[in-house]
Amino acid sequence: MKFLAVVFLLLALLLEVSLTTIPLIFLVLLCLMVASKGNWLFALAFVFGLLFDLLSFKTLGFSSALLILFLFLVLLYQSKFEITTGYFVAIASFLGSFSFLFLQGYTHLILFQAILSAIIGLLLFKLIQRFNKVG
Amino acid sequence: MCKSSFTSYFLVFFILSFLIFGASKTGLLNPLDSFFKTIFSPVQALTYQTFTKVTDFGQNSQILMLKAQNLILTQKLVDQTKLIADNEALRDQFQTASPRSANLVEADVVGAPGFVPGLSFPETLILDMGTNDGVRVGDAVVYKNNLVGKITQASANLSSATLVTNSSSQFIAKTLETGASGVAKGQGGGEIILDNVVLSDNLKKGDLVLTTGAINLQNSGFPPDLTVGKIISISKNPSDLFQKAEIQPLIDFTNLQKVFVVVNY
Repeated sequence: MKFLAVVFLLLALLLEVSLTTIPLIFLVLLCLMVASKGNWLFALAFVFGLLFDLLSFKTLGFSSALLILFLFLVLLYQSKFEITTGYFVAIASFLGSFSFLFLQGYTHLILFQAILSAIIGLLLFKLIQRFNKVG
Repeated sequence: MCKSSFTSYFLVFFILSFLIFGASKTGLLNPLDSFFKTIFSPVQALTYQTFTKVTDFGQNSQILMLKAQNLILTQKLVDQTKLIADNEALRDQFQTASPRSANLVEADVVGAPGFVPGLSFPETLILDMGTNDGVRVGDAVVYKNNLVGKITQASANLSSATLVTNSSSQFIAKTLETGASGVAKGQGGGEIILDNVVLSDNLKKGDLVLTTGAINLQNSGFPPDLTVGKIISISKNPSDLFQKAEIQPLIDFTNLQKVFVVVNY
């Protein structure tokens, strides 16, 4: 699972720094957190947040702090709802992406990107669940 | 999962991120930051190029080449049009007998603060020539043989010219046909009046108003016989001490792109 997480995150990092503003790293971390609920994901969020800041010429630590905060909020909800569902992932992807883009200073088409994020998040979650079952 | 376990992980990494953010903001991490950027930039460039090629895949290579050529040709067209305009302006200016071309510094208008086309009139022009090019405060600004204004501020590479129509602009002028003298005063909004003309002098509608010449010992100021404008209306009242006339400039200040500064007259 950890190996898979690193591979997904590396791919998301490369895509996010070179092609798209959709917060793919956040989506991968969200899906992994919902699927595995492992504390080690905080460390990955920290490392990949720093790498993202480094490669996208942003102030170091900003994206890490945001990613860690989002993961924490997701885990806080697990005592109230069943979070291992597609609905939760879609809604969390939408709200999280929207907030993430807004806080990063993007204003162009962020609603559209957030909707796209919800779809990508849902597909990614299904994919990770399948990998989990196989594993 | 126990709440306290993930809270402690969250706190540790969140505080760490926050500390790095603070250090990065204050510039403490700049050497480390540039070191990592140097390492990662080839990877990033490679990724960008790869993904760009992937997104270009399927597009006709001839169309892509034509698009690139089109960009180059568009740039060439812009450059050529500008060259033609520059050439025409220079030819027009150097065909005028006064001021002498040797005393002229060609300047492009690079700004007109507060000017909104259709809403307001330019009061000052920013020129791309400054003291490094010989431009000094007090120098006249002309276009062909028309007076445009006076340099009121000059830095090393830029200068500001106050237009003759500016309400702070005042100078002695005379009419061409009748030789009546008066004070040309800018009124703002593109208007000039010829004021303080004694009643005994004759003012004629359509007569041209010229500068009388106001060169100081430092060789700067308005040269004589530059056109200020044309008289379009006269206001004469026998009970007043002076008469005045409204002047219409012959050049459109809103469309000026190139002017000439008269240096060392």
